[in-house]
Amino acid sequence: MGTISSAFSLISQALDADQSGLNVVANNVANANTTGYTEEKPNWQENDPIEINGVSYGTGVTQTGATSVRDRVLQERLNQEQQSASASSSRLTALDSVQSLFTSASSSSSSSSAGNIGTDITNFFDSFSSLETDPTNNADRQTVLSSAKTLAGDISGAAASLNSQKSDLDQEAAAVPSQVNALTSSIAQLNVEIQSSSPDADAGTLEDQRQEDISQLSKLIGVNQVTTANNGISITTTSGQALVSGGTSVSLTTGTVNGVTDFFVGTTDVTSQLTTGGGSLGGYLTARDQDIPSVQSSLDQLAYSVSTQVNKVNNAGTDLDGDNSNAGNIFSEPTQIAGSAEQMSVVMTDPNHIAAAGSGKGTGDSSNATAMAALQNQTVVDGQTPINYYSNLVTTLGSTVSSVETENTAQNASVTQLQTQNDALSSVNLDDEASAMTTLERSYEAASKVFTMLDAIMASALNLGEQTTVS
Amino acid sequence: MRVDPHYVTNLVSSLDQTESTEQQLTSELSSGVRVNSLSDDPLAAGQNVLLLNQIEQDDSFTQSSSLVQGKLQVADSALGSVVSELTSAISLATEANNGTQNASDVKSISSQISGILDEVQTLANTSYQGQYIFSGTKSSTAPFSTSTSTSPAVTTYNGDDGVNYLTTPNGQSIQLNVPGDQIFTGSGTNSVFSALNNLVADYASGTVDTAQAVSDTTALSTALNYVSQQRVTIDNSITQLTATSDAVSSEETQLTAAQTSLMQADVAQVSTQLSLAETQQTALEDVISQLGSGSLFDKL
Repeated sequence: MGTISSAFSLISQALDADQSGLNVVANNVANANTTGYTEEKPNWQENDPIEINGVSYGTGVTQTGATSVRDRVLQERLNQEQQSASASSSRLTALDSVQSLFTSASSSSSSSSAGNIGTDITNFFDSFSSLETDPTNNADRQTVLSSAKTLAGDISGAAASLNSQKSDLDQEAAAVPSQVNALTSSIAQLNVEIQSSSPDADAGTLEDQRQEDISQLSKLIGVNQVTTANNGISITTTSGQALVSGGTSVSLTTGTVNGVTDFFVGTTDVTSQLTTGGGSLGGYLTARDQDIPSVQSSLDQLAYSVSTQVNKVNNAGTDLDGDNSNAGNIFSEPTQIAGSAEQMSVVMTDPNHIAAAGSGKGTGDSSNATAMAALQNQTVVDGQTPINYYSNLVTTLGSTVSSVETENTAQNASVTQLQTQNDALSSVNLDDEASAMTTLERSYEAASKVFTMLDAIMASALNLGEQTTVS
Repeated sequence: MRVDPHYVTNLVSSLDQTESTEQQLTSELSSGVRVNSLSDDPLAAGQNVLLLNQIEQDDSFTQSSSLVQGKLQVADSALGSVVSELTSAISLATEANNGTQNASDVKSISSQISGILDEVQTLANTSYQGQYIFSGTKSSTAPFSTSTSTSPAVTTYNGDDGVNYLTTPNGQSIQLNVPGDQIFTGSGTNSVFSALNNLVADYASGTVDTAQAVSDTTALSTALNYVSQQRVTIDNSITQLTATSDAVSSEETQLTAAQTSLMQADVAQVSTQLSLAETQQTALEDVISQLGSGSLFDKL
């Protein structure tokens, strides 16, 4: 039955509910700038009505906690896009370092600038053209040797820089697993906590933490997530290696294979899968295992072909000392293509050993110098002339970098868009909180007003038939 | 529809982008080069390598050819002097052959011709910058030496028959020398030295064996014509060298112009873009400072 005292308890419940609603609002405002925090909305539940003598009476309202406003699918999409963007971003950084080694190719000056391999090739063969006019001239011969040294120095310098960039990338990549392992074990722990505390509903702050961990993890390596029973999440790499399963996490370990760091899950070598998987680790590995080695092998081919061909022609002529077909090597003779760029150097010290004359001719003959100069127009480097080969190397590298740049820009734009959508849904909007707070404030005022009136009514009831003894 | 409360953050990332665009444009302006890294224009960078290569080759050829022209000019003038020496030898011989000279005149003609032979040998042994130019490829050996142990004396060639060529950037070969044996001791009646030596011997005693002397004089005329023909080869090389050098020079100019227009920044365009970027940046900064401040809480 609807008594005044039951009305009192009803109203005081309302006051409690409003207070806890205000709590939720305050919590939102306090966490407005916390990373990963999703806005919470208070839940209102009407209490079950009671029925007395066929008349039903309401029993008020309870505030049953707060629900986080999140869209798991949207967050998952954001994570996927973040993986690709991180991968292309770290790959781009590495490629920018690589292309800066060859930037002097775009120099407009035709004088020999440091590191410009194209100009070095031209100057080296031009020195033999000059030798054609005066084969016995010592100054011209010295020029041949010095331009050979410049060429060998620049090629071996570029190769050495590439090697050191590769080992830098290796180090950066090797630092990732420890971060990954920290995140996966945190996710596993959260799985356990969430499964025990809220297996059927959104887990609020715990879920915020778990999603934040997954988001951080996506920036590092490529992962897929699967929702399992009791509000759990399983994490696997994009190629299917399990990293988190229920409450257990598997560590990513490193080991050295063939001089570079490889990555293992248990005993399985997952390096090639991680390379294509995404995340900044994927970017580092792509640069380390594909981009840099491809430039290195092109340089090696160039160095190998130039060294072996020049040596061959020099050993087919007669030098100034009269050595016939035995003048010696100008460059150190490479034994194999791999690694020949880094080892390229000039071994000839005496300019008299340059065989400008043809075999068996007098020392004033220049036919071998002509043959040497003619090498620059012969397809001696993998079916191309040396300068064409270098030009193609430069263009190919530039195109790769350019396409990764474009990819990265597009992916960043996509990430921004998804982030905006996600924030629009889940971030704390101060205007919303202000209006929610005002509403709750007013409803609290209204409830307390009702309480005051009920109090007055109670006083009247107590004073029924009596002079006012209660006020 | 809900609004992203963090949209000001996105504006800040746009601000970063406009700033990096500004930086790139500024560096283009200051370096004058449009392509500051390979990825700016990969095809242009590759093309630039090839153009620079061609320009440098042309430049190197121009320098070499001017050096070698000097050598060819020296050879040409040496041969010119030889021709005039031989002409006077022929007129001396003709004089001796007409029977109007007495014995002492004939002997003096013999010694004059002997002097001419020495002169011609000296000319044949001309050197340019320390290298003998008529020795073929044995350029450190004097090509001709005369032994007077026999009569007539014998002049021997100590060089070889090697010929050097200069390769032009478009693949032509220009001959740089003519071997001495081809000019001066050519086969049969083309040999200058054997004709001169024979004439010296003919007139040495003072009495003239007319038939012999006349045939030797004819041999000398033939040899002189032959020398003139050989001289043409040198002259052709000089002409060819000059023409190629001019062509290569103008090719180099054209290629340089092409390379410049490929790689150079268009100053007007870059300045305009830079000014637009700066305007955009100022506008963004103003927008950011206006928005992102205040919410409904300020009004409560």
